[in-house]
Amino acid sequence: MELTRTNITYQKIRSKISPRLAFAAGLVALFVAVPLIYIFVRAISAEPEAWTRLFQERIWKLFANTLGLVLAVTAGAMLTGVTMAFLTERTDLPGAKIFRWMLAMPLAIPAYIGGIVHLALLRPRGGVIPKLLEDMFSQPVFTPSPLGFGGAAFILTLFMFPYVYLLSGAAFRTLHASLEEASRVFGRTPLQTLFQVTLPALRPGLTAGALLVALDILAEYGTVALLRYETFSSAIFVQLSGRYDRSAASVLSGILVVLAIGILWSELRLQGRARFTQMESNWRPAPLMTLGKWRVPAFLLVLGVVSASLLLPVGVLLVWSIQAFLDPETMRTLFSTGSQGFGNYIWNSLWSSSMAAFIAVVLSLPVGLLSVRYPNRFSKFISRLSQVGYAIPGVVIALSLVLLVNRFLPFLYATPFVVVIAYVLRHMPQAVRASESALNQLSPSLEEASRVMGRTSFQTLFQVTLPLILPGLLAGGSLVFLTSLKELPATLLLRPAGFDTLAVRVWVWAGEGFYFQAAPAALLLVLVSALPLSFLLRREQIFK
Amino acid sequence: MQTSKKLLPLLFLMTLLVNACGGAATDTVSEEQATEAAPSTEVSGEAEVSGDLVIYSGRSEPLIQPVIDAFKAKYPNVNILLKAGSNSELANALIEEKANPQADVFITTELLTVQSLTAEGVFQSYAPAGVENIPAEFVGEGNAWTGLTRRVRVIMYNKDLVAEDEAPASIFDLTDSKWQGQVAAAGSTNGGMQAQVAAMQQLLGDEATEEWLNGLIANEVTFFGGHTDVRKAVGAGEFKIGLVNHYYYYLQLAEGSNVGVVYPDQGEGQVGLFTNATAAAVVNGASNPAAAQAFLDFLVSEEGQKLFAEQNYEYPLLAGVAIKEGVQPLDGFRLAEVDVVKAAANFDAMFDLIERVGLP
Repeated sequence: MELTRTNITYQKIRSKISPRLAFAAGLVALFVAVPLIYIFVRAISAEPEAWTRLFQERIWKLFANTLGLVLAVTAGAMLTGVTMAFLTERTDLPGAKIFRWMLAMPLAIPAYIGGIVHLALLRPRGGVIPKLLEDMFSQPVFTPSPLGFGGAAFILTLFMFPYVYLLSGAAFRTLHASLEEASRVFGRTPLQTLFQVTLPALRPGLTAGALLVALDILAEYGTVALLRYETFSSAIFVQLSGRYDRSAASVLSGILVVLAIGILWSELRLQGRARFTQMESNWRPAPLMTLGKWRVPAFLLVLGVVSASLLLPVGVLLVWSIQAFLDPETMRTLFSTGSQGFGNYIWNSLWSSSMAAFIAVVLSLPVGLLSVRYPNRFSKFISRLSQVGYAIPGVVIALSLVLLVNRFLPFLYATPFVVVIAYVLRHMPQAVRASESALNQLSPSLEEASRVMGRTSFQTLFQVTLPLILPGLLAGGSLVFLTSLKELPATLLLRPAGFDTLAVRVWVWAGEGFYFQAAPAALLLVLVSALPLSFLLRREQIFK
Repeated sequence: MQTSKKLLPLLFLMTLLVNACGGAATDTVSEEQATEAAPSTEVSGEAEVSGDLVIYSGRSEPLIQPVIDAFKAKYPNVNILLKAGSNSELANALIEEKANPQADVFITTELLTVQSLTAEGVFQSYAPAGVENIPAEFVGEGNAWTGLTRRVRVIMYNKDLVAEDEAPASIFDLTDSKWQGQVAAAGSTNGGMQAQVAAMQQLLGDEATEEWLNGLIANEVTFFGGHTDVRKAVGAGEFKIGLVNHYYYYLQLAEGSNVGVVYPDQGEGQVGLFTNATAAAVVNGASNPAAAQAFLDFLVSEEGQKLFAEQNYEYPLLAGVAIKEGVQPLDGFRLAEVDVVKAAANFDAMFDLIERVGLP
């Protein structure tokens, strides 16, 4: 969400890279890279029989399914996100201020929870809506099914578009009005201006958003499993709970990671050359477009998106929770199901996610310091490598960690700490990006002054650098916390007996068809996620 | 630059600290688990059993919970840690953990998994008190595992939509176009379904089984993740027919739905009922064998067996424990003659077949 800024190189001032810092950052990168390398080793060393069996047919279907979903959801999220951002930022849409909040809030709702709600409402033959319509018209009325490709694409788009919305919203706000004015002066229509000037200028933000969405879809397990649409992630999961053999799962994982790295690489290529410089001096907001006769349809469109992605899921969860609380039988099972109590799930969720956030931020510091203060090819590589976790879906991280930890660190095996490690690996990129952007905004002259005054580099770090970049680190930590809280597949596979998180409980109950029992946990998960999200949003200008 | 000189030990310290917190925040079972010296009020031998008991259960949580609660009431010093999942997922974990065992007890919903795991050497021999009153065919070789309850694959139907004389009398009728799009069943990740496929392969051969599965898929059968969804959907009239374990029919009936049941394939020359059993075993290298054995004893005891029969309408394996009133007794039914040992040996063939036909 940051503007690309020209990075002054400080190499003139500091000629030498600190070997120890480089070593520390290198260790962090290695820590992230090991599971990835291990999966490849396993995949390559799998017996040829596993490869041939998979390549006979299955793999092509998985490829088609996975890529189809990635493309559909990325396109859908881009379209929805940019449209929503345009309407709330650039037009006189009624209620824009409130809608801005509401459009970002679905980030607090895990897609699988949204999926559970929509499934209950729209399930063919059994859903609330088809039944209602049938009662009204006394004959079955066609309603779109949430199952399969269409349903999965629809649900995932609903809960992924806020990424794109936030990034493009920020870009719309910082875009210089004079660009568009110039375009209008040269005789282009508003629409032409939008497509030929405004959107291209948003490209960096949009590609970042598209990448986030695409990688998230590759990694998505809960929603596709729920809606019975098979992708690589869910196929790996099924393999893990199938035959007593890890090679097929390793092979699929290897292919999936290659796919993810391909997407990561293409984003870097796209991102690489587009740079827009803006003079910050006389910035003024662009004039709002008057919607005129389009006011009502635009309002209804935004309302529809907000309803489907926020109001409806939260509303339904509320109703279910109330029903759960009113039924003593449900209440009994709610508080005695699982070997531990309900409070225990909340506590597990909170401490494991906070721990992951803390570790990720601490580990991101040496990487950030190295890449920002000593920008060169090596430090860039380290920074990239430590962010490769984006490209490793949760299912794959879990598989890799199970094999690795059991083999090399048996004392850690089946402890909640392994779950925390998975969170850290997976969400490290968010921490690294936050640390880098915070350090980027801090002039090194402060640190140099401190060194000149005789403080050691360590004192400088703790007395000068850290206090100044703390807000940025907090934002990174909040992001890691938020995404860890929602994480499902790695938690499911790695959790030791008796260690359940809210996400796991929701999944287990809903998987058994006990929606009322699942609702309070789901609602709580959404509420807890909403807190760090609000904190993140408040850092943005518009949400103040 | 000395920055990182101090940073490294700091990182290391943090990791340690985090590790310590992680250990403190939850009661995880580490390898050298100090048995918690809970202040036991030595009332009876039962109170001596204490510490963490880790149960891996292939039975879904809501169905095993009542039994766990009853055990807890009896042994208040035992802290039960449950991990519920699919049979094969947990079986995979057990195999992986052979060198580093985490679980004390494994509970499964069919015999093929325990049979396969016995061959892998995952279990230790234990003969629970009263095991002699369980039919020999439901006890693993060398007491590696003990059968608990029996269940039967049945066809349930919605009585509002299907007349009694119309209901399919054989599982092979489910591929009849008459029921196109009207049948619900559990999918390929479900232990009960997996076991049925493996049993059919053993009994009827690969070809016939494949034909049947393809027939189901062609007939637009909807495959759910579990049987709870199936029974609810049939009860609500979303589907006319469901292929389930018998107790799901009784559970749905107890919820007040108008459902009927067929114990299928009883005619001359037909295969008979596919039955299976739940089983429990003590894991080799369990860190709390005393609690594990007490738990198995409880599962086989009259009290435990009654719970299974009363709460869940199952057929208890312990001689002398009555089935719940209203449940059809199994005597007189024709049962499919499945060789569990053989079927378990061909477990991989079942996964191959399921993948080949693309069972959802």
